[in-house]
Amino acid sequence: MRPEKNGGPESKVGQDILSLAIPLNPIAPGVPLEDVAELFLSPDYSNVLSLPVVDEGRPVGVISRYHFMDIYLKPYGRELHGRRPVSSFMGNSPLVVAHDQPLAEAALHVTQNMRFPLMEDFIITERGHYAGIGFVVDLLRAMELQMRAHSEELNDAYSRLKSSQLALVQSEKMASLGQMVAGIAHEINTPLGYVQNNVAMGQELFAQVQVMNSGYEALADSLLDGGASEEQVAAQLQHVTTLRSHVNPHEMLEAMQGLMADSLYGIGQISELVLNLKNFSRMDSVATEAVSLNDCIQSALNIGRNVLKDKVEVVKELGDLPKITCAPSQLNQVFLNLFTNAAQAMESNGHLIIRTWYEDDAVVVAVQDNGKGIPAENIARIFDPFFTTKPVGQGTGLGLAISHQIIQQHGGEISVESEVGIGTSFYVRLPVGNAAQRHDESSSNSALAMLRVA
Amino acid sequence: MNKPTLLLIDDEERILRSLRMLFFTGYEVHTTTDPQEALRIMRENQVHVIVSDQRMPLMQGSELLRIAREVSPATMRILLTGYSDMEASIASVNEGEVFRYLMKPWIGEEVKQVVAEAAVIAEATFAVQHAPAAVAAVPEKKPRVLIMDHDEETAQVVHEVLHDRCEIIWASDAQHAMEELAKQDISVVVSDLMLGDTNVGYILKTIKQINPQTQCIVVTSFNDTSRLVELINQAQISRYLPKPLSKSMLERNLEYMLERFNTLCSLPALQKRQTVAPISDPQEKQLSGNFASLLSRLRKVGV
Repeated sequence: MRPEKNGGPESKVGQDILSLAIPLNPIAPGVPLEDVAELFLSPDYSNVLSLPVVDEGRPVGVISRYHFMDIYLKPYGRELHGRRPVSSFMGNSPLVVAHDQPLAEAALHVTQNMRFPLMEDFIITERGHYAGIGFVVDLLRAMELQMRAHSEELNDAYSRLKSSQLALVQSEKMASLGQMVAGIAHEINTPLGYVQNNVAMGQELFAQVQVMNSGYEALADSLLDGGASEEQVAAQLQHVTTLRSHVNPHEMLEAMQGLMADSLYGIGQISELVLNLKNFSRMDSVATEAVSLNDCIQSALNIGRNVLKDKVEVVKELGDLPKITCAPSQLNQVFLNLFTNAAQAMESNGHLIIRTWYEDDAVVVAVQDNGKGIPAENIARIFDPFFTTKPVGQGTGLGLAISHQIIQQHGGEISVESEVGIGTSFYVRLPVGNAAQRHDESSSNSALAMLRVA
Repeated sequence: MNKPTLLLIDDEERILRSLRMLFFTGYEVHTTTDPQEALRIMRENQVHVIVSDQRMPLMQGSELLRIAREVSPATMRILLTGYSDMEASIASVNEGEVFRYLMKPWIGEEVKQVVAEAAVIAEATFAVQHAPAAVAAVPEKKPRVLIMDHDEETAQVVHEVLHDRCEIIWASDAQHAMEELAKQDISVVVSDLMLGDTNVGYILKTIKQINPQTQCIVVTSFNDTSRLVELINQAQISRYLPKPLSKSMLERNLEYMLERFNTLCSLPALQKRQTVAPISDPQEKQLSGNFASLLSRLRKVGV
């Protein structure tokens, strides 16, 4: 095999035609048949099927061993034809392949034109001139090698694609999670702000009250202890009076009591936010469990509150749902994706209506918004990976594709109805009964599923 | 001076109660969760300092502060927010023209110090306001505008906008920019955040420390909220305009800043309104120190 550095598309893999060439001396058209017989019998030519006939450098015909025998071995064949030139017997349309023809093309030409049983080798030409012969078997073997190399390349490309797909799915998860975490972190800052301030002020007040208390205690001690002089008592009284003029403990303590109640409330808020995060991620629970989708919806709403609260009024009409066995963290992600998409589609005065019900052994979640809607030309593509109408850098185009995949893995389906200017409704339907639990599949399979979607 | 008046706005009452306590001594404190009520209080009282939350359901803090600028221009404006999105930070510069952009959770002593500083400045502004209107001095020389940007397009747009009304200097590297700044006071600096490899933050911060009347317009495609907040507090940048530059937007803002420069030159008391906070980054602090001493040396030689 001769690797080739430059040339056509074949050069990357396997051989080219020229590397298959066997430099066999051709015969001239005038060569008598008895000389041809000699050649076919000589050991040098023992493995060739045919002899090329070349006139002035150009191939003009071919005489195959089979055809030759047919003539020569007939009774008196040798005597009748031995002295006649090969040109009278040769085939006039030899299999000719140019040296620079791509392997695949050459193989196609040869297989289409060869006769069965295989009686000829093919002739290789370089700019029309004879350059050698080639064995069909070699050509087919070269072809096979090339195809194997191609398919390895394809496999390589496929696994590269697969891993980048996984990376993208991961980055979409991280992007949406990052956004949510930033939102929650900000939301924590408000209660944290006043709790911290209140505690700091409480500490300061505590110190002041302590000073004041020791003033009072000293005064009380002096009064109880008959031995204290009048001046001493007067000085201590003066001290306490001065302290009181600086701090009004009564008023301050009362205010601080309110602030302490506020602080407890704030700590409650912070705990709730942290709990929401925990519920949403489900990091500390098993991958699959039986839950009510209503809980998933509530969890996603808690996390998405940051995006929703300023501009969207959320209406919940949640029906009684049987629990389904699923991966709650994945379904949370789906619902959060649907809610935030809806919020982004609504300018102001948005209404997000979330309904759930149970029918035909399935639970259905409808997420309806009165946003700007999805144009008809886009609606078929919204579940496609990388399809996004958001400006560059603002969406990976994977949110809905991943949601679609998650729902499919749960044996369910997700569908959409939309009208421009009116709004969009997404429907998620998940089976209750057998609830095909395929979401445990490895994530590489998930990536495969996504590729199929693409 | 009497107790200065402080107005606090937040949609969370607990924040208001907490801050009220913090400023209980030393201030006349008004609090409200309603932006309209806040504006009413500003109309009816001489408010020294307004401290507003950014994210509120009825009105964004930056919007409230923009209206506050019209209702009571002397009042010092401070934003106190737990949300630091880029949009809000830009609005707080361009619309709110805030004195400080503070983050929740806050440090009591810091906020107290900032508010106290702001109250003193507001008091001085009220005094100037009540004084007979000063005649805005007609500048003798052409105002000087310094462009600090590697990008030629910025220089081109500024030229197109100002023609020959101003002396326009284009510095495409930090060294050149610092030399120009040493020569003479500049009215307006139009600067990107990066000049070649140099982060010019410290240059802007230093200029503002030395020449509070110089107005800085930052033009950039760079998006980093924490750096912007730093530039608000430590360089008191006047505008933050995104690239690619809109000619009309730049024109409007350049006019406004040239005018403000004149006002500040004729009323030095107002210069305090753009007092900068100390540089926080230790490395920048050092660079700024070097630059400042270079400036003073060069100026002595130059004059």
